[in-house]
Amino acid sequence: MASIPSFSLLWESFRLAAGSLRSNKLRTLLTLLGIIVGVTAVIAVVTIINGLDSTVADAFSAQGSTAFSVSKRPLVITSREDFIKFNKRKDVTESDAAAIDRLCDSCWRVGTAINGSSLVKFGDSRAENVSVRGLSLEMFAIENVTIQSGRLWTEQEGNSGRNVCVIGTDLIENLFEGRSPSRILGQEIRVDGVPYTVLAIAEPFGKVLGFSRDNFVYIPFESGQRMFGARDSITVHVQVIDSNVFETAKDEVRMIMRNRRKKTFADKDDGFSVESQDAFIGIYQNATSGIYFATIGVAVISLVVGGIVVMNIMLVSVTERTKEIGLRKAVGARQTDILLQFLIESVTVTMVGGAIGVFTGYGLAYLLSFVMGFPLLISASSALLGVTVSFIVGIASGSYPAWRASKLSPIDAMRNE
Amino acid sequence: MESTESNGNGISHPYNSLIKMRGIWKTYQMGNEQLHALREVSFDVRRGEYLAIIGPSGSGKSTLMNLIGCLDTPTKGEYWINGEQVAKMSDDELARIRNKEIGFVFQTFNLLARATALHNVELPLIYAGIGSGERHDRAVDALSSVELGDRITHRPNELSGGQRQRVAIARALVNQPSILLADEPTGALDTHTSAEIMNLFEKLHADGNTIIVVTHEAEVAERAHRIITIRDGEIEKDEKIK
Ligand SMILES: Nc1ncnc2c1ncn2[C@@H]1O[C@H](COP(=O)(O)OP(=O)(O)O)[C@@H](O)[C@H]1O
Ligand SMILES: [Mg+2]
Repeated sequence: MASIPSFSLLWESFRLAAGSLRSNKLRTLLTLLGIIVGVTAVIAVVTIINGLDSTVADAFSAQGSTAFSVSKRPLVITSREDFIKFNKRKDVTESDAAAIDRLCDSCWRVGTAINGSSLVKFGDSRAENVSVRGLSLEMFAIENVTIQSGRLWTEQEGNSGRNVCVIGTDLIENLFEGRSPSRILGQEIRVDGVPYTVLAIAEPFGKVLGFSRDNFVYIPFESGQRMFGARDSITVHVQVIDSNVFETAKDEVRMIMRNRRKKTFADKDDGFSVESQDAFIGIYQNATSGIYFATIGVAVISLVVGGIVVMNIMLVSVTERTKEIGLRKAVGARQTDILLQFLIESVTVTMVGGAIGVFTGYGLAYLLSFVMGFPLLISASSALLGVTVSFIVGIASGSYPAWRASKLSPIDAMRNE
Repeated sequence: MESTESNGNGISHPYNSLIKMRGIWKTYQMGNEQLHALREVSFDVRRGEYLAIIGPSGSGKSTLMNLIGCLDTPTKGEYWINGEQVAKMSDDELARIRNKEIGFVFQTFNLLARATALHNVELPLIYAGIGSGERHDRAVDALSSVELGDRITHRPNELSGGQRQRVAIARALVNQPSILLADEPTGALDTHTSAEIMNLFEKLHADGNTIIVVTHEAEVAERAHRIITIRDGEIEKDEKIK
């Protein structure tokens, strides 16, 4: 028996669907809107987060998880209570760094850093909010800073706290109006009012998520202490030679630091924070999963709303075409034929919406990737997801109207005026 | 073989009947009252007959026609078409009967407004599951047989009333049904066009089609070979006139 719908019938249904979409454009647009918004949201966010993930992975894997830091406060503080608690901790000092260097067997490099930001001037030009870091020479190795032109300060220059610096490439533009390196090296800039001689320009790190990582002035650690020391605790950076001793090294450092702070097992707080990039990746993943869930929420709501709109429009369509349904039944359409016709119509509507949504989603992702500077990673799976979701919405919202249409008796339907 | 024609209520030998109705009732429940649109209707139609059903407005002609065409089901009674018991049929089987055994022509044409003449005529073939090539050829043939071979791409609003009814007739005939049913086919047409349509019916009958026409116009009824008169839902008269 011909209970399997023929291709002709499917094509007929599809033609009908296309016809009724074309015949009422405004209604079609309104019908599509919810689906478009929902699918756009899904596609845009999946694409954007794919792009972000790859940027973040790139940025962090450059250093790998072989380095961690010891500081008074963690990088991210989420509550006022925590802030007060962390502020009560003892400062991390140079002698802590020296102890770690001496006592930690698994540690390879130990460097010290003191971080701040300030106004930097050269003649009349000024750059605000420049990251100013006092670094020990080890830090250049730990953080993989390479010199593009000029030279790094010597150990002796460092130890004696000379007013010398290495600048990031952003300052070439922001401070020196793009002049050539040879005309920058040896110049004197003012950092927080204090004159510093530019010894070198560092190789650029590039941007992460639109934020430049090359807007800095690095000065010797001793000079940094002079600039910020009275105000802040330092950070000790540790690098291990191989990532498989990473956890061991962290434990050793924790023990050393706890001993130095006379902490017993009973003390819950270490009195310092040990952090590695895993922590940043954790923070990043938290943030992106938040975005993911918010978007899924938006998408689900707009798809449900869109589905309800499609269902209503389909009910209107069934009512408007009652006579046509009757006629089709009178010439031999079975219930399943009518059911299929209206299901195909609603699926066509939602799939068209979904297809538009896929494109606007990619468009949005493209715009954002352009503005924020991450790669556009278009994945076929997200397009498939969009299309599948709109198919399901089409079936879900078309079922009831299609069922109603299929149950109409031919004679009642045709009598309808 | 033809001898049974003559008996008074038109009941012929059952095995020759294309249509056999026995004790058919159609009752509508109107609030507390029952309205019997058909009462105890029995008759037979043989292959190749040209039958007219006449009667005043509201007498139950359309109700009867819809039952014959399997568009509706009787409240009581038995109905065989081509030897098959209709009352016991599932919805899908009824759809198949409507598709294969019956060609229905309506007073108001009932064409799909947005579809071409060709597509309108193709409709029953689509539901019969016939592939596009054969479907196209058969629809063109059917349109040619009603002299619309040169109008296949026209839409209903580009055709005259008579042309529209001829498209509807082509649609009714395209799947080679056992019976052509027409409920007031000339009701919406002027005299001249009506005559044209009736000539067409005569030709179709001559070609061997079984035809049942409902009408209240004497000129239309006179073209048939047998006339059933109904009044208040009952068969009043059943006479062979040719
Ligand atoms: N769906 C219906 N509900 C109630 N009464 C109906 C319905 N269809 C027809 N009737 C009634 O049945 C009777 C016969 O109607 P119909 O068969 O249309 O008459 P005709 O076609 O001979 O003018 C009329 O009284 C009509 O009002
Ligand atoms: Mg009538």
